[in-house]
Amino acid sequence: MTAVSIRNVSKVFNQGKPNQVEALRDVSLEVKRGEFVSLIGPSGCGKSTLLRLIANLLEASSGDVVVNDKSAAQARLDQDYGMAFQQAGLFEWRTVQKNIELPLELKGWDKPDRAARAKEMLQLVQLPEFADHYPWQLSGGMQQRIAIARALAAHPPLLLMDEPFGALDEMTREYMQGELLRICAATGSTVVFVTHSIPEAVYLSNRVVVMSPRPGRITKTVDVSLGADRNEDTRNRTTFFEAITAVREGLRGMHAAHVGLGNDDR
Amino acid sequence: MNRARSFFARALPAAVFGVLFLGFWEWAVRFFALKPYFLTAPSAIWQQFTGNFSLVRDAATVSGANALVGLVAGTVLGIAMSFVLSRFGFLNQLITPLAVALNAVPIFVLVAVLNNMYSITSEIPRRIMVALVVYFIVLVNVARGLTQVSQTHVELMRSYAASDVAILRKVRIPNALPFLFVSLKIAAPAAVITAFVSEYFGGSQNGLGSRISSNIANSKNAAAWAYVLAACLLGLLFYIFSVVLESLNRKGEAR
Repeated sequence: MTAVSIRNVSKVFNQGKPNQVEALRDVSLEVKRGEFVSLIGPSGCGKSTLLRLIANLLEASSGDVVVNDKSAAQARLDQDYGMAFQQAGLFEWRTVQKNIELPLELKGWDKPDRAARAKEMLQLVQLPEFADHYPWQLSGGMQQRIAIARALAAHPPLLLMDEPFGALDEMTREYMQGELLRICAATGSTVVFVTHSIPEAVYLSNRVVVMSPRPGRITKTVDVSLGADRNEDTRNRTTFFEAITAVREGLRGMHAAHVGLGNDDR
Repeated sequence: MNRARSFFARALPAAVFGVLFLGFWEWAVRFFALKPYFLTAPSAIWQQFTGNFSLVRDAATVSGANALVGLVAGTVLGIAMSFVLSRFGFLNQLITPLAVALNAVPIFVLVAVLNNMYSITSEIPRRIMVALVVYFIVLVNVARGLTQVSQTHVELMRSYAASDVAILRKVRIPNALPFLFVSLKIAAPAAVITAFVSEYFGGSQNGLGSRISSNIANSKNAAAWAYVLAACLLGLLFYIFSVVLESLNRKGEAR
């Protein structure tokens, strides 16, 4: 039932050197299968670091990271997760279809199987007519949808996203959030999602994990009871605003409850 | 049809300018009765060029062959070394100062040294010289292309559990290709120039560079200019070749 299990994890960069930074201190987090969990917090709170620990792109200094009931390292080798970043990170010398095929290529899939899966993923993100285009011919939102298609191409059970909509304008961003929910409902993926945006975190998540910096740690967890069916009307519901307020208070701490938002909250 | 028209539309200003420039040159020489040793008329140069065409062609072939052999050798070595450099970062700190030092002096002067190593009629010193110039241009650029890859691409490949070899093949090499073609665009004309200039430091008197200097020495200015014209054409040929190569590479991802 557990997709990700993080137990008493700490991460120190440049340990023992003058520029030593304690990025995470004693963080524990469980993510259940099929759950959508957002990590939110100001810059430097270690949310991206935590995501990279789950992805095994970084090693924890202490503590355990278990992904899909195995070590994070093994989960990476087995490609148990797909990842998307703030930059779509498409390869400009590859067509859209070849970009989506890349993780399958590395898994050693046959050409026809790869092509069939790429077609399927393009249907999923509703861009089937762009298979032979190059990334620069697509808008930012389209590129990000292709990046999500690529992250999901191997049908990984887990999707790790690092501010994937951070570079998009507000309109595109809300549209993409709807798309992501639709895609996740279709694939049943578990998602760990890093963001700066409170409404984004609340709209998407079953659970919002609030983090604070220096050193990075989890200060509050907000359960979002908006149910499975979410659409544009969801953004007007009282439950939505209540959850937003709860996250906001978690971010500010009780002392500054009446002061304006910090720089990092949009 | 449309493309042909747009080509002519773009080429027209350059062509008009060229004709006007040559016309003014010719007129100035005649009107001010300039002595040939001061400035030679285009008509006289053209006469020399066509009249001695086989001589000009032979000289151009010698210099052109030196430039081409050096260009190919320098490119191959430069690419090979860039792979080694990008793999072993510490070598970078050894090679870069050397590259900077060699680029800081007019490195043609090394030809004089190289000439001592081989027989007086050998073309090898000139070819080595060209190869050296090309080598550093290609090395610096391709090494940059191999190492300056997007951080997102690298993280993505690591998330796919891709090996270093796979990252090299699917990220670093494709990323370095445009850098290679840019470096060839710089290196191709530089190869021709180096081939000419190398001929000023002794050895066989058979290439364009040595013909230019010997004709000047004999006050045969129009003939010298004819060889200069051939040198321009040869440089242009090399440049066009590198541009065509690049456009072939860009076909798929043309912007």
